[in-house]
Amino acid sequence: MAETTVQEVKKEPFFGKKERALLLDPINDNNPITVQVLGICSALAVTSMVFPSLVMAVAVTLVTALSNLTTSLVRNMIPKQVRMIVQLVIIAALVTVVELSLKYLNYPVYKQLSVYIGLIITNCIVMGRLEAFAMANKPWRSFLDGLGNGLGYGAILLMVAFFREIFGKGSLLAGTPLEIKIIGPTAEFLINTKESMLFGWYVNNNLMVLPTAAMFIIGIFIWIQRGSNKKLIDVS
Amino acid sequence: MDSPRYILTFVFTLTALVALLLTGMRQVTMEKANLNEQIFNKRAILSAVETHLPGGKKVKELSDEEVLNIFNTQMQQIVIDTKGQPIEGVMAENIDMAKERKKPEAEREFPIFVYTEGETTCYIFAVRGNGLWDEIWGNVALESDLNTIAGVAFDHKGETPGLGAEIKDNPAFPRQFIGKQIFDDQGQYVSIKVKKGGAEKGNTHQVDAITGATITSDGVTKMFELGLKNYLPYMEQLKAQQKNDAQGMLIQ
Amino acid sequence: MEVLNIFIKSAFIENLVLAYFLGMCSYLAVSKTVKTAVGLGLAVIFVLGITMPINWLISEYLLSETGLLGIDLTFLRFILFIAVIASMVQLVEMVVEKYSPALYNSLGIFLPLITVNCAILGGSLFMVSREYNFAESISFGLGGGFGWFLAIVAFAAIREKMRYSNVPPALRGLGIAFILTGLMGIAFMSLMGIDPMALSK
Repeated sequence: MAETTVQEVKKEPFFGKKERALLLDPINDNNPITVQVLGICSALAVTSMVFPSLVMAVAVTLVTALSNLTTSLVRNMIPKQVRMIVQLVIIAALVTVVELSLKYLNYPVYKQLSVYIGLIITNCIVMGRLEAFAMANKPWRSFLDGLGNGLGYGAILLMVAFFREIFGKGSLLAGTPLEIKIIGPTAEFLINTKESMLFGWYVNNNLMVLPTAAMFIIGIFIWIQRGSNKKLIDVS
Repeated sequence: MDSPRYILTFVFTLTALVALLLTGMRQVTMEKANLNEQIFNKRAILSAVETHLPGGKKVKELSDEEVLNIFNTQMQQIVIDTKGQPIEGVMAENIDMAKERKKPEAEREFPIFVYTEGETTCYIFAVRGNGLWDEIWGNVALESDLNTIAGVAFDHKGETPGLGAEIKDNPAFPRQFIGKQIFDDQGQYVSIKVKKGGAEKGNTHQVDAITGATITSDGVTKMFELGLKNYLPYMEQLKAQQKNDAQGMLIQ
Repeated sequence: MEVLNIFIKSAFIENLVLAYFLGMCSYLAVSKTVKTAVGLGLAVIFVLGITMPINWLISEYLLSETGLLGIDLTFLRFILFIAVIASMVQLVEMVVEKYSPALYNSLGIFLPLITVNCAILGGSLFMVSREYNFAESISFGLGGGFGWFLAIVAFAAIREKMRYSNVPPALRGLGIAFILTGLMGIAFMSLMGIDPMALSK
């Protein structure tokens, strides 16, 4: 750790090539879910619908960026023997600060989000990036790294949720004012399977609601991603 | 940096700083947060009788003042013990069901809210149980026959969004309970069963479970059965009283 | 009897990985060979088996209103549970680093990440919500850990055999691992709902 600080005397641009890569790489080439294998549990749990995935994506992006920043600021003071506890105290303290302020400012939103707290604290993206990046890099870069990884995670979450919600529930964005009911057995849906001539056979696929479906969908995403991006192919 | 002394000082300072920050924040925000929570809980109670709100309004459309006003004018609060006897001097809104659950069974107290709007009277009971990850709870409103469900509102601490959390987030789930009955034709208490694979057609004691959330759905069944059981002695007394009143009316 | 039932139930019927899909990250990332899988599996058994009773004591005697302090501190549950888990994992890390540097290197970042392995925190939360007693919590911890161990070792064995199959290049490795886990999960669904209590009657 000490060596890197000595070497970096040269003035670096505020947002140069490296910073750009830190922000954009995790979205495709170094995606936390499909390449680094981080944050899978929450990606399976919340993606049965688009709206919870969106909330989760935003929350994780913020928490990852901020905890990366905080950890990077104190990185040179953390003794190795207790670093995990320190990292977790930082994450948990950040989450609790957000929780307390929401309780004060907007209670219904707090109630809505409090469900995600366990999923955020145990999300290995947050701690994974602390271990892999923030413990050895400067604050600004760590912040960007956290932001980029949160975005890459969110992108996969939303894509998985899109398919799961359409085929599992026949709706899109349920739980928001923008809800679109696409296909189902009542008159509320755009395609009413009870009356439609073409889609009378259609039933929602219950497997899609289960976490198993997310495994298959992410598997297929990885297939597509590696098919188009040959350097990611696993040679072993 | 690796000396035990440094590590201890570091951990101690960090813990002290974080604890100070969090406790300070909690102190500053507590009062307003508690008020927010109270109003939130009152709205949750009103959600159970949403179909009977004044002016056909939805709970969402009520302002905080209107919510408090309904509680002051149209809501009678009763607290009962396990035998169904009312306890004097306690407000139902001050009963914390989470704490009651941890008490020995004989010492528990249960809140009842009696809501009147024009001619209709509803009895709102509180139930609480376990979901997959943590506690789930709800308010169950019965019509004045103490059998037909007027409405329910569920909430939870940590069920999975999109799966178990649907008991609260998907309005179709609580809506299924409206009009269902908790006693069978012989007057036996049967509660409501949340049935995996869909309720039997025409069965007034069953509702559909949530796909993919078996444990939460089973949790709701259990919570309903055990939760309303606590109120059975009270319901019996009330029914006997209603009968007396009705006979009294006839004689007059 | 109840204790044994909980062990069997948590190891097979309600397997943390294949029924609840918890602890997926390390399960997918560290299952390339049986050898590393065994190492991580043992670490998880140890951490689950030891944090569960500790967390039980904490939630019963420290956090609950009927406990030693007499105040309701349940809002601290997450932080305290995870602090206990973190210190246990730190301990495991030191031991592994000292006695098996090879394993330490092959586990890489996924050893510290056991801390945030949702199977471990999830296990502690399940324990509270299912109202287990002390003995049951030990049995649940060991059973859950054993189930996790079995799942990752079985999965690693399949993945070792997979090398000889003709998988499309882009799907090799992680892609097929996801799909495999999905299939194993479907297979495990057939065990759900079995009640060992009812069988022993």
